[in-house]
Amino acid sequence: MSVSAINHPGPALLAREATARYGPVPRALGGKPIGPGAMLLNEDSFLLHSGTGYGLFYRQGEGVTIERDPAADPAEEELWLNGSVYAAIAAINGFLPFHASAVAWQGRVHAFSGPSGAGKSTLVAALGGHGLPLFCDDTLVLDVSKPDQVLCLPGHKRLKLAPDALALTGASAQERVAAVVDKHYAKPAGGTLQEVLPLAELVFLEDGAPPGFARIEGARKIARLNDDHYTHDLFAAARDEDNAVRFARIAGIASRIAMQRLVRPRDLACFAEVTAQVAGHIKESALS
Amino acid sequence: MTAPLAKRTAAFSETTVEGEIVLLNLAEGTFFSLTGTAAAIWPLIDGTRTRTALLDELARRYGDEPGAIAADLDAFLAQLSTAGFLDHG
Repeated sequence: MSVSAINHPGPALLAREATARYGPVPRALGGKPIGPGAMLLNEDSFLLHSGTGYGLFYRQGEGVTIERDPAADPAEEELWLNGSVYAAIAAINGFLPFHASAVAWQGRVHAFSGPSGAGKSTLVAALGGHGLPLFCDDTLVLDVSKPDQVLCLPGHKRLKLAPDALALTGASAQERVAAVVDKHYAKPAGGTLQEVLPLAELVFLEDGAPPGFARIEGARKIARLNDDHYTHDLFAAARDEDNAVRFARIAGIASRIAMQRLVRPRDLACFAEVTAQVAGHIKESALS
Repeated sequence: MTAPLAKRTAAFSETTVEGEIVLLNLAEGTFFSLTGTAAAIWPLIDGTRTRTALLDELARRYGDEPGAIAADLDAFLAQLSTAGFLDHG
């Protein structure tokens, strides 16, 4: 298969918008006060107060302002910037952040979604051992503006793995993520890929047996996409969408994305076998 | 139900994904997926057909006696009514 890079303004735009500096951060947005542990998106602006000593404020075209309490853990800064703040920046600038980790193969992205703890990061890290480079960890930023395909912007976060996942996947451990987070940054065995690529499929991880893939079709696709409430809420808030517009948007995305369920036992004894099965599925799909 | 049946279009949003009709209850944010006979009945509710006319049309399409499909039709219309998708005038 011939693969050509897509010239897309998204990565540079998001990198520019995510440029951060230190300074005073407001305590309210649009007249609404934001307390510790709360965040609010209001059309072109986003305000977050972490409750752990961080305030972060973004306004479109002006970048991010960070206010850090001297007692706060400096390592947390990257987590906030690359987490909620980056997702908000993506949404405000017309992209859809989705809760998924992904690998790339033959110029297309295979993404894995599921709730926190579902094993997304561990699976994509382990797929690196089968020669599949990491595309993103935890947040997949999508360009859904094209009528015929959904494009994926390359990941902005470093891979984070818990100690047991490091041992399982063969990824190399780097520094600890933060004092309160028992994870390490990690380099996946398959390397990483930094290109804009079309989405091949979105796979939802589920616990169960026997292991295998099953297609998701019709209304169930809408329901699955809508389950990612947080990111859709961000996107809808940035556009002041009502329920009908949001529904039409999600339905439009659903009709352009192939979706699967991946059922597999959460049993360490089966992990290598399931990972090999997933790698085979991805490589075979590139041939079809 | 002797009056023509009509949809209460302000109550829902409708789309089709891979041939499946999906309705969103705009007030509650809940989804309804219409497949099979339900998907066949839904477009026939157009403000001109009464329940009896719907029964006749379905019987003609499926080669069945109206009495044999009346229970299914009534159950579906009751679901639509409960969801607030039918206009009762």
